[in-house]
Amino acid sequence: MSCEKYAGWMTDAALGEPCAGRESELLAHAMECDACRESLGRARQLRGFVDRGVEALVAGEPSPQFTRHLRRRIAQESRPQRSAGTVWVSAIASALALAVVLAIMFARRPVHNESNSNIASAVNPISAPPGAVTASVAGRRNAERTAPTGDSRRAAQTGAASPTHPVIIVPRGQLAAAAQLSAAINSGRVDGNQLLAAQQEYARPLQVHPIEIAPLEIPALADVTETPAELIPF
Amino acid sequence: MDALAASFPRSAVSPEESLAREFEQRLADCPKLAYRVALGVLHNTAEAEDVAQEAMLRAYRNFHRLRDRDRFRGWLVRMAFRLALDRIRAKGRRERREHDVTRLLEQGQREASVEDLIASREFERQVARALDALPEKLRIVMVLAAIEGYNTREVAKLAGLPEGTVKSRLFLARKKLAESLQCLVKNTPAG
Repeated sequence: MSCEKYAGWMTDAALGEPCAGRESELLAHAMECDACRESLGRARQLRGFVDRGVEALVAGEPSPQFTRHLRRRIAQESRPQRSAGTVWVSAIASALALAVVLAIMFARRPVHNESNSNIASAVNPISAPPGAVTASVAGRRNAERTAPTGDSRRAAQTGAASPTHPVIIVPRGQLAAAAQLSAAINSGRVDGNQLLAAQQEYARPLQVHPIEIAPLEIPALADVTETPAELIPF
Repeated sequence: MDALAASFPRSAVSPEESLAREFEQRLADCPKLAYRVALGVLHNTAEAEDVAQEAMLRAYRNFHRLRDRDRFRGWLVRMAFRLALDRIRAKGRRERREHDVTRLLEQGQREASVEDLIASREFERQVARALDALPEKLRIVMVLAAIEGYNTREVAKLAGLPEGTVKSRLFLARKKLAESLQCLVKNTPAG
């Protein structure tokens, strides 16, 4: 009966079960029982078998080149070099910086470029008095947007280049009206000089003559004749 | 004044150089420890060397982060163990090995004695298979206990575990290994 009890402990004790009380009891029994002593011997042999097997697995040393190779790799690590990660980070940072610079450049683009596109083109105008109609139109920024035509661009370019063909800059919505006016002047239906004179007339400052106002003459109280209240007609 | 002058070169050493020197002192014995831990997992000398190299390099890179330098060996051991496991998983070698060992088990049973069996290649593979089948937390204590016969306290320090935990895990690991290898012992006459 007692041998059966110890049989279960044999392997555990041999494998180093952390229970000191059991081990001493088992050893005392094994001293008296040959069968249990032999079983304990076998269990210890199994433990040795296991330990030596694992020890054999991890036995050995790295090759002689191991340390040399390791030192070389460490030396490479110590050298200041740009890793692939660093290269990627710097590339992304450069791209971002470029994008920011471009965004700022577009945001600060001069307004006159835009307003130039708002302004219509030029009309090759009045042949009559050269240089007579050269007024640029005010309020260009509020002008309506219409697409400039190629002809008007060309006209603007040629007009700018030639002093005999002055350029009239008009808001886009008034281009047709300006063209009609130009055609009317060229055909003689409208007198250009008269228009110019009218423009100069409007441009002349207003002359306001002072108004002379005679002082009020207030009659003296004594001169006022009293009228009885009952005589005032309603 | 002379003492001050003599101390000047020492104080002029940069922190990086100081760390490098400190690491250099550990290059004497630590690679061997890392190699053996990796070998216990991989059972292949070339791969174990690779893993040990990688573990040492990582240790070098992160050496400045380790505040308690006395824990360097345990830190390295755990790193090597983890790297070796990662490599095993990456290659899926375990399945192939299990297939091989099933075939070799029959050959191992025909060995003549315990000593012959232990020295045989087949037995080594059988032990490797049993060791690979252990859970990781049991495997690392078993491998460390097998390296240069570390005692429980040393294993506890390396594994970063309480001593009692190491004792119980060692016992469980040995028990599982014994169950796996028992068939070989039964068929082998006592040496």
